[in-house]
Amino acid sequence: MAALDTPAGAKPLSGRRRPRVTGAAQATIFAVALILFFTPLVASAAFGFTLPGKGFTLDSLDVAVQNTSFLPQLSSTLQLAALSTLASLLLLVPTLLFLHLRAPRMLPLTEWLSVVPYVVPAIALVSGANLFFRNMAPGFLVSTYSLVPFYMVLTLPLVYRTLDAGIRALDIRTLFAASASLGATPLQTLARIILPNLRASMLGASLLSCALVLGEYALASLLLHSTFPVFMVQVGMNQPRAAAALSFLSIVVTWLLLAALSGASAKRTRKSGPARSTRQTSKDLPTQESTPAEQSSATKGISR
Amino acid sequence: MTLQAERATGAAGAAPSGHERPTATRRRFGRVAGWLGAMPYLLFLAVFLIAPIATNVWTSFQVDGSFSLASMARLFEPQYRDAFMQTIRLSLLTAGAGGVLGLILAWALATSERPKWLRNLVLSFSAVASQLGGVALAFAFVAAIGVQGLVTRMILSLTGWSLSDSIQLASFWGIALVYLYFQVPLMAILMLPAFGALKKQWSEAAYSLGASRFRYLRDIAFPIMWPPIIGALLLLFANSFSAYATAYALAGGRVNLVPILIGFFISGNVMTDDSFAAALVTGMIVIVVAAMGLRTLLERRSNKWLR
Repeated sequence: MAALDTPAGAKPLSGRRRPRVTGAAQATIFAVALILFFTPLVASAAFGFTLPGKGFTLDSLDVAVQNTSFLPQLSSTLQLAALSTLASLLLLVPTLLFLHLRAPRMLPLTEWLSVVPYVVPAIALVSGANLFFRNMAPGFLVSTYSLVPFYMVLTLPLVYRTLDAGIRALDIRTLFAASASLGATPLQTLARIILPNLRASMLGASLLSCALVLGEYALASLLLHSTFPVFMVQVGMNQPRAAAALSFLSIVVTWLLLAALSGASAKRTRKSGPARSTRQTSKDLPTQESTPAEQSSATKGISR
Repeated sequence: MTLQAERATGAAGAAPSGHERPTATRRRFGRVAGWLGAMPYLLFLAVFLIAPIATNVWTSFQVDGSFSLASMARLFEPQYRDAFMQTIRLSLLTAGAGGVLGLILAWALATSERPKWLRNLVLSFSAVASQLGGVALAFAFVAAIGVQGLVTRMILSLTGWSLSDSIQLASFWGIALVYLYFQVPLMAILMLPAFGALKKQWSEAAYSLGASRFRYLRDIAFPIMWPPIIGALLLLFANSFSAYATAYALAGGRVNLVPILIGFFISGNVMTDDSFAAALVTGMIVIVVAAMGLRTLLERRSNKWLR
């Protein structure tokens, strides 16, 4: 590029050399980054799935799996993930559709509220929840399912933004008007036009929510519920190899979920390409504008 | 339906058309309907977010049933002040180091062109790594550079130098190292849009007017880039300040950090003093809110350029 723009013979050397140096620097940075990224993963796999003098083995995992609390805790985590994802969608999709359609003036308020969990550390939410519900409804925090609303709160910034961006890209007013003029009832429009078009962003929101809930530790452990991450810490106390194996597996699962998300949103970006210019630029997190990978990670994870 | 949709557009002020005249009753209906429609969402947040936080703040100013600043004042006792200082130091360190490294990574990601697959691989891995954390990451690091870790043993057999003696994972520096694993990619991901907004024509224009590379960086790139950079650093700071699971799984109580201290108070490992535990949380919220509020202000400024 530079070589084309500079007058002929002006600075041919630097024009040609700079890209090569830059390219080498970039390649080095990428290589170092990849090595550092992969080291803990490879190490946890190697540490978890081998025993000295035995080579590859699933023994360490066996010990953990045979632990009587493994299956119940895994299943309660999966249930929590499914329930909080479902509940988030049930709460947010109708609310957002209604507000976009009938009361767009409320949107700045709801959007502002949706980023509040972002500035409230998970540990602060635990403390507040403990104090509030112990006084108001002492029995509430006993059930493991009481975690669901708090997980909904923690994932809200991401889920809200994903759904909101999906709806904004659609121009649902026009869709409603157009299908009404063709004789469809609002319900038909909703079922046949709006929801199918929102499938990609609902899927994206679900994957994000699942990925975050599966790794959440602070709330579960401090509200004394046994979920999979809590189990992992217990195991890690005296069986580091089993903990490493479980960590590796759970990182891989998280990775797959987020990769699926990238795939889903890449498809959506391609589909709704021209509509993107109408999307508002968000004031806090970059929405999925340029690269699909950005959206999943534009925030701090709740699992920490 | 068509009419209603059109009127809603008019009432919302999206298209100020002259012949649209929403009557007072319709406008009032719209407002009531808006509140009604948002009600489930607002109620949900009121019960599960606002009320707990409000209760917490309220409790931190109550001692024995009356208003008191005693609990908040205790935050300045040496032990707790030390916890705050340690946490702030950890957050500054990981935000600073993670910020610099992340900026370099973001630059490479934003400007690299040729091997597209390599760039995409690093990008997608950064996206995932910036979300990792918590228990799984802690154990992965124990497996890598813990006492029995793979890398530790490899270095020991190659050079005879014991890595785990120099960097103990259950220490301040160990935690900082693990935090960098998600701070660096997070910074890179946050900075990518800003790098993308740095238009190529600007550098070409500057160079063609005879500016040196340094001059371009100082007079053009830096003034545009500093608000998003500081904003991202503030997010990194808040991120590290509020992290609990990673630090707890790595060090337990061996490092005096505010989130871990709060965890001990909540789980009842130390004497139960609701008011003081709440005061610790309030102190933490104040710091995180300050960092994030500053970020919002900066972002308003930077949004002017990053369109």
